[in-house]
Amino acid sequence: MAMKKLINQPEALVSELLEGFAIAHEKKVRMEGSNLVVRAHPKATDKVALVTLGGSGHEPALSGFVGEGMLDISVPGEIFAAPGPPRVLEALRKANRDAGTLFVVLNHAGDVLSANLAMDMAKTEGLKVESVLTHEDISGGPRNEPEERRGLVGCLPVIKVAGAAAEMGKSLEECKAIAERMESNMATLALAVSGATHPSTGGVIAEIPDDIMVVGMGQHGEAGGGTQSLKSADETTDIMLTALIDDLTLKSGDNVLVLINGVGSTTLMELYIVLRRVKQGLAEKNITLARSLVGQYLTVQEMGGFQLCIARMDEELLALWDAPCDSPALTVK
Amino acid sequence: MTLDYDGIAAMLRGGAALVRENQDLLSRLDSVGGDGDHGATMTRAMGCLEAVITADTTRDIKSLLHAVGWAILGVDGGAVGPLLGGFFMAMAPAAQGKTTLDAAELATVFEAGLAGVLKQTKARPGDKTMVDALQPAVDALRSAADAAATVHDALERAADAAEQGAKSTEGLQARFGRAKNIKEQSIGSPDAGATSISLLFRGFSRSVG
Repeated sequence: MAMKKLINQPEALVSELLEGFAIAHEKKVRMEGSNLVVRAHPKATDKVALVTLGGSGHEPALSGFVGEGMLDISVPGEIFAAPGPPRVLEALRKANRDAGTLFVVLNHAGDVLSANLAMDMAKTEGLKVESVLTHEDISGGPRNEPEERRGLVGCLPVIKVAGAAAEMGKSLEECKAIAERMESNMATLALAVSGATHPSTGGVIAEIPDDIMVVGMGQHGEAGGGTQSLKSADETTDIMLTALIDDLTLKSGDNVLVLINGVGSTTLMELYIVLRRVKQGLAEKNITLARSLVGQYLTVQEMGGFQLCIARMDEELLALWDAPCDSPALTVK
Repeated sequence: MTLDYDGIAAMLRGGAALVRENQDLLSRLDSVGGDGDHGATMTRAMGCLEAVITADTTRDIKSLLHAVGWAILGVDGGAVGPLLGGFFMAMAPAAQGKTTLDAAELATVFEAGLAGVLKQTKARPGDKTMVDALQPAVDALRSAADAAATVHDALERAADAAEQGAKSTEGLQARFGRAKNIKEQSIGSPDAGATSISLLFRGFSRSVG
């Protein structure tokens, strides 16, 4: 696959994309320090701060979630690579306040290593910070092996509800408990139908033949079917939804949030078709689609496919999901 | 024979140079299970290492190792920063008060570095990571020092052990990092991180007379 991307020098990719991002959303975010993305209108310091870290190349994630009712600071790394601990520590210092900081970490090797080192240093300095790890990809392993599960687009609902709780003035302990409740009640499965190229190396990220699709990354048939022949939207959705419902042990009468995240080249047209089938599939089991969100939130360049995230919601989580927010990637009025 | 501040600086530069020469090989190996940027990341890390040595005016081994580690930590490159940076950072306290290092002292310093890495990651030998090269290298360094080898010979044996360890990852299935997602497809190609460590130690041994 030849790389066909509008870029300049590969080394300047991340700084140039952040520069443009900050211009595009100047009313909501700005750059500070060592390329940290912060809110243009900082939250009152008597409220809990939310910080996250993660590689670039997944736009609008994760910096697109910085804003009122969402994150206070995001630490963007290189393309698909976590930022090093010094910049993460810089962010934790900048966020530090008596109310404390909730540090949202997606379960990926580099992110966790960097986050843990920075957390250790922050605690040595006496900073008040607690972390929550998102790991809701059911293809990585069974529910009782959370360390095997990667953090996918489920970070968005976690940031949304914890961010709303923080904005309402809830304590660090309360915000953390809400984030963990959201985290443990969600499950995501990723579908890939076509690969992508790494924007700085030009290397192929995943090579998927025309007649093939990959559900999850599991190659042993667990939680999905792994590599299989390309199917229709409804057949594919049914396979994924069944696996997610099983994993969450959803029951008749449950209320769920459905998040369909396009990862790059799959069109909104396709995502809407999938959502319609998800609603049908849920209705067959008497599960209510209480809220839905469809769009591109966490992308993998021009990869084709989507992530289907389902979350069991209670009244408080629904209220926090509905609370106002104003970030580049998500606005609720 | 012992290594003084200049000897340590030369050793580090030697390792950096050999890693840099092999940038394309490292990226190629990483493209099997990772995203093909390991060579670029290691080159950035080695650039930081060299810049720190050039800028360092402390003439103190401990300070130099600490500064090198902190600079590599700052490389935005996934696991490389925390692991390799953490390696050098953890070496530093073991060099406290030393103006020269003999083979046994060098082994102690490297053991402290390895302990720092093993604290950061749950990966152990057999998991197809840099630990597959690092653990045998440090073990070999210690055995050679115990057998009264010179610094050069001890580092050479460490490099041999690292090379063998890196080679052994060819037959292993990745269990850590991004490569674990491709499971058995990772078998047949050596781990990029282990190969980096092997090159680093070979460069160390070549630059110590």
